[in-house]
Amino acid sequence: SSQLSSLPLHILLYVNGVYYIFYFLATLAMIIYKSQVFSYPDDFLAPDLAVLFLMAILEVPRLYLGFKGNLTEAEAPLGLSLGLTVGSVLLCVYLLLWQSYVLWADVLLNAVLLATYGLESGLKVTAIAAFVS
Amino acid sequence: VARLCVCDLLVAQCDTNCCCDPDCSAEDFSLFTTCSIPVVIGDSQLCSQKAAVYSLDVEANPPERIFKLIDQVNPSIFCIHATNYEQALYLKSPEIPTAENFDELLDKFGGATFSAEPDSWNLDPDAQNPSEANETSRYEYGVPVQTEDAFLRLPSPVVSSWCSDANPAGFLVNQATKCIRSVSVEKCDSIQALSMLFYINSSILAVPKSSQMVNITVQSIAVQSVNGMRTFLSSGEALRLPMVLDGLCINAVLGVNYHITHTDTGEIIEAVAAFVLGAISREALSIEQSFEISFTQENTQPVPLSGNPGYVVGLPVRAGFQPQGYPFPAAFLSNKHGQLTILHSTSTQDCLAAQGARAPVLFGYNMISGCKLRITAAMKCQPLAQTLLDVLKGQSFPEYVASFGNSQAQDVFDWVPITQLHISEQMISHTLQSSCQIPVSLGIEVKWTKYGSLVNPQARIVNVTATITSTTLKQLPSGRERIIPITSSVVFTDISSPAEPSYKAWPTINIKLPFDFFYPFV
Repeated sequence: SSQLSSLPLHILLYVNGVYYIFYFLATLAMIIYKSQVFSYPDDFLAPDLAVLFLMAILEVPRLYLGFKGNLTEAEAPLGLSLGLTVGSVLLCVYLLLWQSYVLWADVLLNAVLLATYGLESGLKVTAIAAFVS
Repeated sequence: VARLCVCDLLVAQCDTNCCCDPDCSAEDFSLFTTCSIPVVIGDSQLCSQKAAVYSLDVEANPPERIFKLIDQVNPSIFCIHATNYEQALYLKSPEIPTAENFDELLDKFGGATFSAEPDSWNLDPDAQNPSEANETSRYEYGVPVQTEDAFLRLPSPVVSSWCSDANPAGFLVNQATKCIRSVSVEKCDSIQALSMLFYINSSILAVPKSSQMVNITVQSIAVQSVNGMRTFLSSGEALRLPMVLDGLCINAVLGVNYHITHTDTGEIIEAVAAFVLGAISREALSIEQSFEISFTQENTQPVPLSGNPGYVVGLPVRAGFQPQGYPFPAAFLSNKHGQLTILHSTSTQDCLAAQGARAPVLFGYNMISGCKLRITAAMKCQPLAQTLLDVLKGQSFPEYVASFGNSQAQDVFDWVPITQLHISEQMISHTLQSSCQIPVSLGIEVKWTKYGSLVNPQARIVNVTATITSTTLKQLPSGRERIIPITSSVVFTDISSPAEPSYKAWPTINIKLPFDFFYPFV
C-alpha cells in the first residue's frame, strides 16, 4: 500500500498520551501520600519529584515528534522521538527501582509504562525502516 | 523475627504467658493460658514479610506451644514493595553527644520539654511571661502567705519534733501543728520565738508582690497557769513580753491561733491572732508550742466543709434540719447536735448502759456497729422500743443531708432529704399484728454518684435511706432473759452511671431566606 505511516504506532502513541496523564497524576498523588504517611525527608523527596517532572517535560516533545514523524513519514522526527524515549525509559526505570518508597501500585504503573515504551520503540524502528527504504 | 521477643523481660527466667521466651521449657508452656504476644512481625506495611506466629495448642494434653514462621502478605495495593531509603522503617537513632555538638544538643534537649518540630522551640519563652503576670495579682490555694520580710511562719515539726520556723503558711490551707522548742529560763527574753512580737510584727501583704499591708492584730490573750488552767484576759490589747519573775519565765508564747479573712478574689483583708501565754519553770528544758491557722471568706460563716464541691473521703457527712422553710445546717464543728451519727460500739456492749456514745458518719467509710440488748421478762414493750430507737438514731437524727461537701444553707436544692423506711420482720408463727415490735437494726444507705468532668469527678450524695428493721418481741416466761444483738450500719454505694463523652456540636448551617424573598407572589 502507498501509505507508509504506521496505524498501530499512531494508536499506541495516542493511548500512551492518555495513559501518561493518568500515570503522572497517580504517581504525584502517591508521592504526596507517601510523604504524609511515611517519613520522607526533603532531600529524598526532591530527586523523586524532579525525576517525575522531568519525565513529564520530556513526554510532550516526544509524543509530538512521534505523531509528526509518523504522519509526515519523515525519519528525523521519529528518530529524535526514539532518542527521547530512551531518556524516558531510564527515568521510568529509576521510578520503578530507585525511588525512596516503591509501592505495589508504583510497580504496576511503571511496568505498564515500560511495556508501552518498549512496544512503541519497536513500532518506531519498523516505521523508520519502512520510511527509509 | 524468629529471635525477637517483646515479652521476654526477665533475664534467664521464664516470663508467664510469653510464648516466644527462649528461657521457657515445655513444662512451662504447658502451664500457660494464652500467648500474650501471638505474632511478631516487622512493619506491616511491607508487601511481603516474615512473621513468627506463636499459639498454644490447648487440645493437646499437656498444652504445647506452636511456633510457625510464615510469610505474611499485605494485600493492599499501597504496600511497600521496596525502599531505597535505609532509615525508612526504623526509628531514628539519636545523635551521640561529642565535644562539638554538645552545646547544640543541650540547647535543643536540655530543657524540661522539647517538641518534635524544631520550629516551635523558640516560641516557649515568650509564652511564659503573660501567664506569670496573672498569677501574682492574687493568692491561690497553697501559695505561701507573704509578709514584709518573708513568709507568714507557722512553726512546725520538720524531721523531728523540734520546731522549725521556716514553714510558711499556705493560703487557704487550714493547718494545726504542734512542736517542741528548747528553752531555758535564763534566756527567756532573748529567745525570739517565745515573745508575742515575733508572731505579729511583720504585716501580711494583701496580694502577693504588692505594697498593700495588712497588720496582724491581737484578738485575745489567754494566760495558762503552771497547772494548766487558762484564763482569758479582758481584751486589753497590750503586748505582753516575756520576762523573768520569781524564777519563772512568764508571758511565754505557748500557742498562737491565726485567723485570716480573705475576699473571694484571693485578697487578704484581715488577720488576727489569738495567743496562749504561759509560764516556764526553771527545770523545764523544752516546751510544746501549738500553732493553728484558719481562713475564712469575708461575709460568710465559717462552716467546716467536707469537700469542695464533691465530698472528700473521710470527712463527715453534713446534715441538718429544716425549720419552717429553709434547711438549717446544725453542723458547726463544736456542736455535735444534728450531725449524721451512728451508734458507737463500746467495750461493755450493753445497749442500755452506754447511751449517747456516737460516731460521726464519714463519707466513703462503711461502718457497722452494734450492742447487745438484754431483755428480761419485766421489761415493758413500748418504753423499750422507744429507748432502742433513741439508741439507734441518736438524740437528734437529721432530716436532710448535704448533697455536696460545700452546700450552703441557703441553697435549698443542694440538700437531700433522708428517706425513712420501716421494715418489720414478722415471725412466721405469729400472725398477730398487736404483738410488740422493737427496732433491732438501723441501716443507712447513702447512694452517691460521680459528678462533673471525667478527669476530676466530684462525689455527690444523691439519696439517703435510713431503714429501721423491727422484730416482734415474744413475751418471756418470768425469770428468763434473752440477749438480742442490735446493729446499725452505714453503707456508701456508688451509683454513678458510666461517663458519656460529649462532643462539640457540629456547626450548623443557618440559612434562612429573606423575609420578602417571594415578593411578588406572597
